[in-house]
Order: sequence, then C-alpha cells, then structure tokens
Amino acid sequence: MKVEACNKSFNDKKVLDLPAFELDEGCITAVVGANGSGKSTLARILAGLERPDERSWKRPTDNVGYMPQKSFAFRMTTRKNIALNGDDPQRMERLVDALGLEPLLDHRAKKLSGGETARMALARILMGDFDLLILDEPSASMDMEATLAAEQLLRDYVEHTGAIIVLITHSIQQARRVADKVILLDKGLLVEHTGIHDLIEHPQDERTVRFLQFFGV
Amino acid sequence: MGSSFEQAIELILSADPELLNILATTAKMSLSSSIIALLLGVPFGILLGARKFPGRKTLVVLNRTFMGMPPVVAGLVFYMLFSGVGPFRHLHLLFTVELMIIAQVVLITPLIISTMETYVAQVAPLVKETSLGLGLSRWKRFWLLVNECVYPLFSTYLLGFARAIAEVGAISMVGGAIAWKTNVMTTAIMLYTNRGSFTLGIALGIILIALSLLVNMVLSLMQGRLSR
Repeated sequence: MKVEACNKSFNDKKVLDLPAFELDEGCITAVVGANGSGKSTLARILAGLERPDERSWKRPTDNVGYMPQKSFAFRMTTRKNIALNGDDPQRMERLVDALGLEPLLDHRAKKLSGGETARMALARILMGDFDLLILDEPSASMDMEATLAAEQLLRDYVEHTGAIIVLITHSIQQARRVADKVILLDKGLLVEHTGIHDLIEHPQDERTVRFLQFFGV
Repeated sequence: MGSSFEQAIELILSADPELLNILATTAKMSLSSSIIALLLGVPFGILLGARKFPGRKTLVVLNRTFMGMPPVVAGLVFYMLFSGVGPFRHLHLLFTVELMIIAQVVLITPLIISTMETYVAQVAPLVKETSLGLGLSRWKRFWLLVNECVYPLFSTYLLGFARAIAEVGAISMVGGAIAWKTNVMTTAIMLYTNRGSFTLGIALGIILIALSLLVNMVLSLMQGRLSR
C-alpha cells in the first residue's frame, strides 16, 4: 500500500515533511519518535482527520480504522460501545476475554477508568474489518498484562485479516515486541523506514543511534 | 410581616381562584416558552458547536449579544411591533399570553443556544474523531453526538425554564399584567406589592420558590438516571 509524499504545516510551521513510502500488507508498522516528531499528525492524516498541505493528496485506502490517543467512551454500556463497530458475537467474546472486559460489559462506559476505557476502545476498533488500522498509543494507559494481551490481539488481527496496522508508540521495546517494520520520525522528518531488527542492529543514521541509546537499546 | 406570611399560607391552602388563575397562566407561559426555546435552541447550539462554517464566529458573537439583551428592551421592541402603530398590529397579540411567550422565546433561545454550543464544542471533536475512526456513517455519528448531549439537555432546559418563570421585564410590557388574563406570578408580585397588598405577593413568592425546588429535584433525578 503506497502512501503519497506529504507535508503538514500549522501556522506556517512545518511539522511533517515525508517522502512517499510503502506499508506492507499483513504487517505491523510501528511509528516511533520523540514528542513532537509528527507521529500523531501522520496518524491523523492517514485517518483522514487532517488534510496535508498538498490538496491533491489521496489516502492510500478509504477503509481506514483509527483509534485516537485519547480513548472516548460513548454514553452507553461497555457492551454497546464495543458493538458499535460490528456485532459478531464470537469475535466480541474473544476480544472481551483477551482484554479482561467480561465483568465490565454491563457497566456504564463513562464510569470506566482510563485503562479500562483504553481496553474497551481497543476491543471496539478490533471489531471492525479495515484494510488499514491506525492505533495511536493504544496501550499508553494499560498495565503490563493488558499491554501484552493487546499486542497479541494486534498480531492475531493482521494474521487473520491481512490488514496493515500502523502502531504509533513511544516505546521501542513495544515496537520490538510486536512490529515487523518501523518508521522513525524526528522533527517531522522520516529518518528510517526499515525492519525492526535492522533498525536496532544496523542503525543508518546518527538520530537513530541517539534514539536507541535513549531507550538503552 | 408574620401575619402576612400566615395569611399567605392560608391563601395557598384555600386554593384561592385568583391565585390558581395566576399559577395556570404562569405554567402555560413558562412551559410553552421554554419548550419552544429548547426546540429552536438545541439544533442551533449543536450546529454552532459541532460544525465549522463561514460566519460561525459572527453568529456566536451575535447570539451572545442577544443573550445579554435586557428583557425590558425586548419588551419595548415587541410592544412597538404589536401596538396600535406597529407593523403587526393586525395580529392583535398585544396584552396576550401568546405575545408573552414569543417575547420569552426571544430571550431564552440565545441562552439555550450558548449553553449547548459550549458543551457541544467540547464533546464534538472527541465524538467525531472516535466515530470517524470507527468508520461509522454520518447518521450514526450525528446520533452519537445527540446521545452525548442528553445529559446537558436537562440542565439547559432547567436554565431556560428558570429564566422564563422568573422573568418580569418583557412580559409586564407586552402582557400588561391584566388580572385573569395575562397576570403571572412575577408580575402579580410586583403589582400587589405596589398596591401595598403583601399577602398574595408572599403566597406567590412561596409557590415560586417551591416550584423552582420541585423542578430542580425532578430534573436532577432524571439527569441521574440518564447520565449513563
């Protein structure tokens, strides 16, 4: 799946300047980088929530799912929230079990904690069938157990559907656990786009080395 | 003072016909104007809060200006429009409950628009981002936004009703506080106090406060049930 080159500026300040790149089907691509590197802007552009400066820019596909950084619970039960995006009972049962949501299904979703809302939002988005699924730090407020369960669900999703997942994350360790490929952004520029193991073992750029050193990798 | 209070209680308990008429007129006016203002204000509030379009900011400023309009000014405008020399004199609405309702709608609607706009502007981006991310249809996105607004809808209505029932400036000008016709609680309190007759004024004051308490309690209860 080809993503066209794009730029994005806010108030004349360029926050993203990316060349065209490809996303492999059936793969998880992690987008890593420091705060302000443009990760979330890229996610929002791919999701169609922001328009790049190029008016003619086209999304690689219209069938895109997007889970924003701040998970939002609609004013209804957890069960109804999850079923908003599809009502396949088997899929729902599998997601609910994996994410430990069973006891919360009939609770008011607005009353869930931050971590519980994130788990509910992940289950909700994974109920859908998308060609491209963008997840903006889905496990930021989850504990370790839920994070590992979420990562396993992402692997299952790409294996079963052949979809592409773009995972925005701060953590290179998470990228190493779950991703096949990685895009490193720095100040809105694409530093490297390569296999996760290549990035760690053979960094090609000084900025990659600094980034990896920061995480002690 | 103590004796006036006792007499006021007696008046309430005896179901005085004039008192009942004032209460009925007040209920008709306040409920009608607040419900009409809600029906007009909520869609406008949602539109201003959820959508970005050219002229939106001008409309918000204009609405805030109307929100701050003194009721007597609204009363004066309507009086001029519907009096014997006004362009709408043939409608014969001056000194009727209907014109009092219209004047109140003009006063309350901007308040409802502004309250809804403020709430929707906060929640709409989250609803939009999440529901677009889920690939939901436009209709479902709209339904989810409206569903999020049910909770503030009650407090907004309460605000409108409170303004309607307590308003006196505009309705005394366009209604004329005519006994058995357009006299409502607030105008009656003013009228009887000016005449030095405190009993009915106190009785109405007690009812006004009790009514306000009752409406608040009922709405709080409903709000609690709907806040899920």
